[in-house]
Amino acid sequence: MKGALLAAMLCVVPVLAGAQVQHDYLPGREKVVPHVSGDEQFSNTYRYWKDADAVRKSKAAGLQSRDVNFKDFRWLEKSFDGEAKVDMGREVFHRKAKNGKSCASCHGENGEKLKGVYAKLPKYNAKAGRVVTGPTQVKLCAKANLDEDWPENTKNNSLLDLYVASLSDGVPVAVDVSKGPMKEAFEKGRDLYFRRTGHFHFACASCHTGVATTSFLRGQRPSTFFGDAAQYPIYHFPYRLPGDDVEDIFTLQHQIRSCQMLSRMLPGEEGSPSMTAIEVFLKATSNGYPMSIPTQQYNMSTDYLKKEAGN
Amino acid sequence: MKTAMRYLLLGTLALTAVLSASVLAQSSSGDEKLDKIRAKWKPGGAEMIPQDVLTMFPCHSEELPCGKIAPPPVEKVTFKGPLEGDAKRGEAIAINVRYGNCVACHSLPGHEGGTIGPSLSDYGKRGMPLDYIYQRIWDVRVFNPNAFMPIYGPNRVLTDQEIRDVMVFITSSK
Repeated sequence: MKGALLAAMLCVVPVLAGAQVQHDYLPGREKVVPHVSGDEQFSNTYRYWKDADAVRKSKAAGLQSRDVNFKDFRWLEKSFDGEAKVDMGREVFHRKAKNGKSCASCHGENGEKLKGVYAKLPKYNAKAGRVVTGPTQVKLCAKANLDEDWPENTKNNSLLDLYVASLSDGVPVAVDVSKGPMKEAFEKGRDLYFRRTGHFHFACASCHTGVATTSFLRGQRPSTFFGDAAQYPIYHFPYRLPGDDVEDIFTLQHQIRSCQMLSRMLPGEEGSPSMTAIEVFLKATSNGYPMSIPTQQYNMSTDYLKKEAGN
Repeated sequence: MKTAMRYLLLGTLALTAVLSASVLAQSSSGDEKLDKIRAKWKPGGAEMIPQDVLTMFPCHSEELPCGKIAPPPVEKVTFKGPLEGDAKRGEAIAINVRYGNCVACHSLPGHEGGTIGPSLSDYGKRGMPLDYIYQRIWDVRVFNPNAFMPIYGPNRVLTDQEIRDVMVFITSSK
């Protein structure tokens, strides 16, 4: 009788385990810590770009872009074209809706009360009952207070996202993932980042860890993920995704979707829980790194190419 | 005259039947997964891979069923020779971003490429065994489960013949 019970229990366990899909992962996710210095576990370059001074010094010492994990060419210089987009965002921020209110009605002239706020996003939103990114927060706020429909990945939403982010320029990223739903989102995002998916069976980490970083991928220059989220939303001139009308602004959600499309994964819905979790993971691994808004993905400076050619 | 017309009609019908049979034979490879993908998408064209092909593979979503698709099992394959293929076709597949896209990570004969994978510019000189090359392209996980390379066979990114074309191309440099 005891034996039969044991046998029955043994039978049940594999059935339950079978319900859980065993995904494929690239190695390394257990090593990730939610701070930009966590890069030391993934590349041997953190000391070259850990702050503006370090970037300047490594450039002066003649290090190539590749040696500094491609972190130099867009971080140091602001984008002049991006400034024009910030101005457009400021205009939307002060524009009065039909009910006579604007974003400035609650958040102050020139977003006074939003200084430094973007560096702490994504965040748990108690009213929505879930973790939200900048664009989702803009959507919820615009609907509730202005009765405007500005969903993620639309023009006004992206302009506002860039404008509000610019109010945190220079402020170190500080996303708290120590407990609760934010901790859960971070862990889920980390899991998704290393999970292999899609037609190529790639993970995000296929291009952003190991030998793939500091190498060339066609015309692209993949680097480790640490620190990069501090520059988003980014002014991104060279190409658009099909159907884009977002003023060439790549929010982090938009960037994740673009990466998914390029690597033949199913592009996620911007603002959805899984996409939000990936953003939490990316932003938290930029903790401690100052926001730099607006920069642009492909800086106009091509010095690094001349250096490569002269090698 | 009437009879002649009847024969002409019959002949046309027969020809149509033969033609459509050969078209069917071309579009059906006997591989269900491959046929399903290729019916929805022709690689190498202007169109990006559509969403309804991508949902056949594991995805990041929590809401969609593809978030619960198990990874494709590792496929160990045996290469059956001789190696016959079209180098020109292989080259087109290898350098096209919406086809094989080998050049993204590798330099190839006559093409400077990415530096993530080793250069294959003089791969022909290295004399690698054909069954090794075939397995490596079909499913690299047999050699290294963590390799940064697409699994061209199990996910039907390329067909058996397309892989052979690529093999002829990359081993052509002597």
